[in-house]
Amino acid sequence: MILLDRVTKSYNKDTNPAVDRVSLFIEPREFVILVGTSGAGKSTLLKLLTREEKPTSGKIVVGGIDYDTLKDSHIPMLRRKIGVVFQDFKLLPQRTVFENIAFALEIAGMTRREIKSTVPKVIELVGLTGKEKQFPHQLSGGERQRVAIARAVVRQPKILIADEPTGNLDPRHSWDIIRLLEKINKYGTTVLLTTHNADIVNKLKRRVITLEHGKITSDQAQGSYRQ
Amino acid sequence: MMAKKKNVSSKVFAKQKNHRRGLLSFFRICRYGFDSFIRNSWLSVAATAVMTITLLIVFTTFVAQNVLTNTVGDLRDKVDMSIYLKTETTNEEANSIITELKKLSSVRSVTYVSADEARSQIVEANKDDNDVLEAIKAATNKNPATLRVIINDINDTSQLQDFVDNNTLLKDYISSDYEPSFAGERRNTIQSIGRAVNFAQQVGIIAGSVFVAISALIIFNTIRMAIFNRKEEIQMMKLIGANQSFIRGPFLVESIIYGLIAALAATAIGFFGLYKVSGTLASYQISVQSTIDLVTQYSVVIVLIMMAIGAVIGIASSLLATHKYLKL
Repeated sequence: MILLDRVTKSYNKDTNPAVDRVSLFIEPREFVILVGTSGAGKSTLLKLLTREEKPTSGKIVVGGIDYDTLKDSHIPMLRRKIGVVFQDFKLLPQRTVFENIAFALEIAGMTRREIKSTVPKVIELVGLTGKEKQFPHQLSGGERQRVAIARAVVRQPKILIADEPTGNLDPRHSWDIIRLLEKINKYGTTVLLTTHNADIVNKLKRRVITLEHGKITSDQAQGSYRQ
Repeated sequence: MMAKKKNVSSKVFAKQKNHRRGLLSFFRICRYGFDSFIRNSWLSVAATAVMTITLLIVFTTFVAQNVLTNTVGDLRDKVDMSIYLKTETTNEEANSIITELKKLSSVRSVTYVSADEARSQIVEANKDDNDVLEAIKAATNKNPATLRVIINDINDTSQLQDFVDNNTLLKDYISSDYEPSFAGERRNTIQSIGRAVNFAQQVGIIAGSVFVAISALIIFNTIRMAIFNRKEEIQMMKLIGANQSFIRGPFLVESIIYGLIAALAATAIGFFGLYKVSGTLASYQISVQSTIDLVTQYSVVIVLIMMAIGAVIGIASSLLATHKYLKL
């Protein structure tokens, strides 16, 4: 599903690369946790996957799409196949829960009828039924993250990238979000999660990839993490 | 055969579906643009106000140009060249000269005032002034008959001058006591008004252009600020797969809205102002009525032109801003 072959990304010739010859293969339906301290290169790696950044060298293939041959005009189509969730949710404050989720479908040119039948199902999946008409500021942090996840998965992406989704949440809400990601993974979506939370990493018992100074230092099938 | 037919109809169906989606996206982009116009109300009001002032200046320049041109035209019509004929010239003889004069390309019209008419006009004009009336009665010299010639361009009298100097028919009847004359001082005044009008037109065009540039800059800046304000939102839109038109389109729509609202406001203020000052202007002998008639008759066209100017300023400045600051 995701293939990186000796991928390097340097922002500046004089400093060490942010990502240094990283090679990695992630199977379809896998649940992978990416750990590492700040500045280890996690964010850069995710930006390379979402094509916000181009690698300095190396090959990236995601969902059968080779980034070397990807035209700029096709980037939006690629991104519709990858769902992204952020630490700070990035919801539209003036839009309701329903509208925030529907937005992802609107920009893909879906009709109102399609939107009306799809969105409630996703709202139910993330457990926000009854809160469709509320605005983000009326929701708790955990609920906001659920809206963000709903928006990311509403188009049934093959891959879900969750960049520190629990970074702003208390432990109880954090676990709610992790359980939700596991549920989405069970339905067939490849999940790539980055986190600082050792408790989550250790209890999940999933594949853990550790990045340090832009390099992969460990890749364990049922890994653990010490902060 | 059937398979081929089915294939063709599915292609047509797919094409129609794409077309419908395109239309749907267009309406959505317009809606997002309108939403952000409402959401950023203070920025919107400022940008619309500047655009309104610009369009008002464009409107005023157009109206002022029209009014001044009409006024100068009216004044020019009042300038005539007087050719004095001998008192004893008969109407028939005068008519044959008029026929000759009218053949000249520079002559617009000729009126004939016979000696008796000229005398009674002077008497009528001075009916309250006994001294003048006494003087006319006592005068031994006779009034000449007059040909009042109005020419097309007061700056070009050479053809008429040539006629006066060389026409053989006129030579027999032209008065030897009075030289042909232009309405001397009036002509000079009108020429200087004409020059002032040309100057005013140039100032209007320059002021209009400067304000168009200023308002384009302000809208450019407004859009730039909007882009910075919505940096996160734009980032999110990009990452959930919005294409260029979905991200840039709403900014374009927003600035077109500035232009359209400003056009309506500027036209309304312009018309109101014009009607309001028309009375005052008319009392100063400024010909404002024909301009009012013109703008009233073509009000719809004027509104549309103003909207087009507003939209073009909006589109140009927002395209520039999005291309400079909205890297996708």
